Amino acid sequence: MTEQTAQNANVKLRISNMTKRYSNGDGVSDIDLDVREGEIVTLLGPSGCGKSTILRTIGGFIGVDKGEILIDGKPVQNLPPEKRPTAMVFQSYNLWPHMTIFDNLAFGLQIKKVPKKEIAARIDKMLHLVHMEGHEKKYPTQLSGGQQQRIAIARALLLEPSVLLLDEPFSALDAKIRAQMREELKRIQQALKITVVFVTHDQEEAMALSDRIVVMNKGVIEQIGGPTEIYDCPKTRYVASFIGEMNFLPGANGTEIAVRPEDVWLDDAMEPEMSAVIRTIMPLGHYTKVGLEMGEHFLRAYVPKTDAAGLRVNDSVALTFHKKYVYNQNGGLQQ
Amino acid sequence: MDQERKNKILPYLMLMPAMAIMAIVVIYPIFSCIATSFTQEEAGGFGLENYLYFLADPMQLTNIGYTLAIVLVTVVLAVGIAYLLSIYLRFSNSRVSRWIGKLYLLPRFIPGLVAVNGMITIISNSGLLNRLSRLFGADWQLGLIYDAKGIILMNLWFNIPFATMLMGAAMSAINNSEIEAAKDVGAGKLRIFWKIILPLTYRDIFISATFVFMSNISSFTTPYLMGGNYPTMMGVTMYNLYGNQHFGRSAALSVIMFILSALSAVMYIYVNMRKDQWEKN
Repeated sequence: MTEQTAQNANVKLRISNMTKRYSNGDGVSDIDLDVREGEIVTLLGPSGCGKSTILRTIGGFIGVDKGEILIDGKPVQNLPPEKRPTAMVFQSYNLWPHMTIFDNLAFGLQIKKVPKKEIAARIDKMLHLVHMEGHEKKYPTQLSGGQQQRIAIARALLLEPSVLLLDEPFSALDAKIRAQMREELKRIQQALKITVVFVTHDQEEAMALSDRIVVMNKGVIEQIGGPTEIYDCPKTRYVASFIGEMNFLPGANGTEIAVRPEDVWLDDAMEPEMSAVIRTIMPLGHYTKVGLEMGEHFLRAYVPKTDAAGLRVNDSVALTFHKKYVYNQNGGLQQ
Repeated sequence: MDQERKNKILPYLMLMPAMAIMAIVVIYPIFSCIATSFTQEEAGGFGLENYLYFLADPMQLTNIGYTLAIVLVTVVLAVGIAYLLSIYLRFSNSRVSRWIGKLYLLPRFIPGLVAVNGMITIISNSGLLNRLSRLFGADWQLGLIYDAKGIILMNLWFNIPFATMLMGAAMSAINNSEIEAAKDVGAGKLRIFWKIILPLTYRDIFISATFVFMSNISSFTTPYLMGGNYPTMMGVTMYNLYGNQHFGRSAALSVIMFILSALSAVMYIYVNMRKDQWEKN
C-alpha cells in the first residue's frame, strides 16, 4: 500500500542510483529514494552506515560520484549548498556565536535582499512558531541546547526550503528535552506541511517522528517502510536486530528464528512444544521483562503486568511464539 | 594550629621559594636597572641626563625610529601572512595544505644563530643566489644583508610560524557546521570571511601582533649579525653602549625598551580581557 501511495503522491525529492565513496572506502552505493511532499523520512542506522553522507549529498556539502538528486524535479547534484533549495540543521554548534539570535535569523534573509521590515516580520512570526519570542537580543551561548536547536530550525525554515534536512539535531540534548523537541518538530512540520529528511541513530526517535523510515547498513538501504511496517515485517535479519528488541534462536539448516519479546507467550500447557526456566523477573511498570533459559539459549519475554503476577524465578514455563520470523543464512526473510 | 589557618598559610609558604628567586633574579635587577638609568654619567648624582641623551641625540633617535619601523613592518607582514596561511591550513584539505601543516613549525626548531648564518650564506652579495645567478651570466646583488630588508626577512622566518600557530588555534575553534550553515543560507566565500571568520578571530590577530612586537623590539641576534653599522636596532645599540662602559645610558635604553613593550602589553591585556557581548554569560 505504501508503494502505491508513493507513486501517486507528489515526489519532492528523488535520489536515483546515487553513489558516493570516500577514499577510505566508506560511503553509500546505489541509493534510490523518493521523498513525497510533506513527508518526514528518517534515515536510520548506526554510525558509519552512510546516513549522514546521504543527507550531506542532498544539502550539497559533498558531491556524488554518480547518480542524480532531483528536488522539485530539477537536478541539483552539481549545485553548491548556497544554490540548493534545501536548509540544514546540524547536530550542534549550529548558530554563529558572535551574532544575536535576531542576526542569526536575519543573515540568510539579508543575503537574499529581503527588505528590512519584512525580515523583522518574518523573524517575529518564526520565533512565535518555535516558541522563542523575546529572545531576539540574546546570544546563542545564553540559550540552552534545546533553545539553540529551536533557533537553528527557525533559521533553516526562514529560507523557505523545499526540503528541510536535519542531521541528528537532538542527539546532544538530554533525553527529556529530546522527546520534547521531537514533538515540537512534528508540530512545526505539520503546521508548515514541509518535507523533512531526518538523520538519526536512535530508533525510538525514528519510530516516533517518521512517516517512513529508511534503515541503512554499511552504505546500502536495507529496508524502507512506515514505522509499523518496519517493526512488524523486518525484511532482513539486520533490520530485525536493529529495530526494537528481538530474540534470535538457531533454526534448521543454518536459518535463524527471530521472535519479538512481546510475542513470546508463557503459559502452563500440559504438553508444551517448548519449555523454559525463568531466570530473571524485572517489573517495568505496565509490563514485566522476563529472562528465560531454554536449553543453552536465553530469551526475553515481555509479559503484561497482570499475567506476570504468578511468575517466580526458577519456575518452569511452557512457551509459544505468537509470531516469528525465519531468516536464511544471508539474512533474508524466509517466512 | 587549627586546620583552617594552616590551609590559609600553606599556599603562601609554597609560593615562597618561587617568589624568592623572582625577587633575586627579576625584581631586584629591574629596580637596580631603573636606578642606574637615573645615575648621571657626566653631571653625577641622579637626574634625567641618560634619557635626554636618547631624546636629543639625532643618531639615537634614528636608531629608535629604525627599530620601531623594522618591528612594525615585521608585525604587519608576519601577522598578515600568518593569518592568510592559517586560514588556508584550516579550510583547505589539499595535499599541499597538509604538507605545509606538517612543516610550517620547522623553522622554530632551528637554532636562531644557525638560521641567521644559513640565511646570510644564501642572500649575501656573494651568497648562493648570487653564485647561481652568475651561472646564467647575471650578477644579482640583492643588497639584503647589512640592511633593514635582511633583518625583516629573517624576522619573518622566525615569526610567521609562531603567529600561524597562535592563529591556527583560533581557526580550529571555528566549527565546520558554522561555516556550512553560512553556506547553506546562501553566503559566498567573501561574506563568510567578513561575517563569520574575521569576527571570530580578530582578537587573535591582535594577540599575535603583540607577541611578535614584543619579541622583536628587543631582538639582538638577527640585527647583530645581519644589520649594518648605522642605524642599529635598539638591542645592538644597547650592547655597544654597554661595551663602551655607558652603563647609565644602556640602562636608560632598557627602560625605554621596557616602556615600548609595556605599551603593547597593555594592548594585549586590553584585547584579552575585553569580552565581546556574545562571550558574556
